[in-house]
Amino acid sequence: MNPFEAHGIEHLSPSSCNLFTAAPAMFVMQKCLKKSSSVGPAAHRGTSVETGIVHGLMNPSASQSECADKALDQFRTLTSMSGDPRVDKEINALPDMVRIGLAELRPYGIPSSTQGRIELQVEGLDVPLMGFYDFEWEQSGVLIDLKTTHALPSQISQQHARQVALYAAARGNNISPRITYVTGKKCATYQLENVADHVAALSRIAMTIQKFLAISSDPMELASLVVPDTSTFYFSDPVSRQSAFEIWGI
Amino acid sequence: MALGFPTGGDGGDIIPIIKFDARAGRMFRRDRINGENEQIDITQDFKAIFDFENVETGTINFNTGSAPDFAVARYGDRIPPKPSDDHKPGVRLLVKLGKDSGGDVRELASTARVFLTGIDNLHNAYLDGVKANHGKLPIVSLTSCLPITTGEGARKSTNYSPVFNVVGWADRPADLTYIPRAKAGDGAAQGAAPSAPPATGSTRVSAPSASSDDFG
Repeated sequence: MNPFEAHGIEHLSPSSCNLFTAAPAMFVMQKCLKKSSSVGPAAHRGTSVETGIVHGLMNPSASQSECADKALDQFRTLTSMSGDPRVDKEINALPDMVRIGLAELRPYGIPSSTQGRIELQVEGLDVPLMGFYDFEWEQSGVLIDLKTTHALPSQISQQHARQVALYAAARGNNISPRITYVTGKKCATYQLENVADHVAALSRIAMTIQKFLAISSDPMELASLVVPDTSTFYFSDPVSRQSAFEIWGI
Repeated sequence: MALGFPTGGDGGDIIPIIKFDARAGRMFRRDRINGENEQIDITQDFKAIFDFENVETGTINFNTGSAPDFAVARYGDRIPPKPSDDHKPGVRLLVKLGKDSGGDVRELASTARVFLTGIDNLHNAYLDGVKANHGKLPIVSLTSCLPITTGEGARKSTNYSPVFNVVGWADRPADLTYIPRAKAGDGAAQGAAPSAPPATGSTRVSAPSASSDDFG
């Protein structure tokens, strides 16, 4: 039995690798101890804006308000049971994010695929790296991942670079990987550089996870090797905070 | 290998560049817009007249921290000695872009081995074809890119070698003028192996333009 099977993990993704680097205790809690965490309104914002933009890209005649309504409908559904006060802030930003995102991406034309599943086998790694890219325009050789944010970054983050580099590597020859950051006021599309280096970094992180999991098939023993920083946003929701206390006593 | 890739000295004016990203297999035009560099992806539409009459070979150091250092000479002239261990075999030439790729004269330079393979094959095709097209320059398209994988395990990497194709021949455009230079300007930082954490990317790009063959 390989280390992943021992913990019921069938694959790794860029987000799980990034989680391990940022908050290994949360990784153990989620992936090994199978304690679920609630997703905040910011994550729902991203999902919902993407829904609105996908609608607008796949239907070039769709109006901006129609696309914004798609996003709002989904956001309201996803947050319908949330008592998080940040929901109002997020919902107010949605229509503008959809409008600005469409203005940026409609010039690329209709995507040849959206939410494309990719998988990459890494030599020595017992599970595949898996993920889903947002948009591909096969005719022009462009792949774009969409990120929503309230502050426009001046460059691609390391985490996003690793994520999109994986997509580019899996799609193979001659793809131009890009990331579009959208705020409620502006947006920017950046060209991802050094794809091979970022894939190599992601592979090294994945191999580290494999080594870590190989220490023990007992998730509580793995938990005993890490300590959570409960002041970070990873543990901001009450359920995660309580789980951390129950596991680590802090 | 027609170009041989030895060396020669030079320098000169700042000429806007195009850049072949061997790691992505893409061709970019770098424009200076509002004081910032912007890379325009011209892979799909790439067509250009290559000034192979004045192609320069030698060694280039892109890793200077500022402008690249060229030690190159016109093909056939005596190549200058390699100034440092950081200078890698490379090539530089001017191209006149087709209208849909930008339409202006650009510098193309690289030390990436996979790029040199592609440009050397193209130069061979030029040498063959120019016999029947005396005094003309080749119109070149970028047909595809071939993945070249090197290394093993964690050091395994894939780069892309451009496959250029001569699609026609043209008289030298009036603005495609070769001037020997003593020092290059804003060079194309291609092919240098990273010795630090890799950059993620901060170059803003826009949607590719529609294609056509018009050189105007």
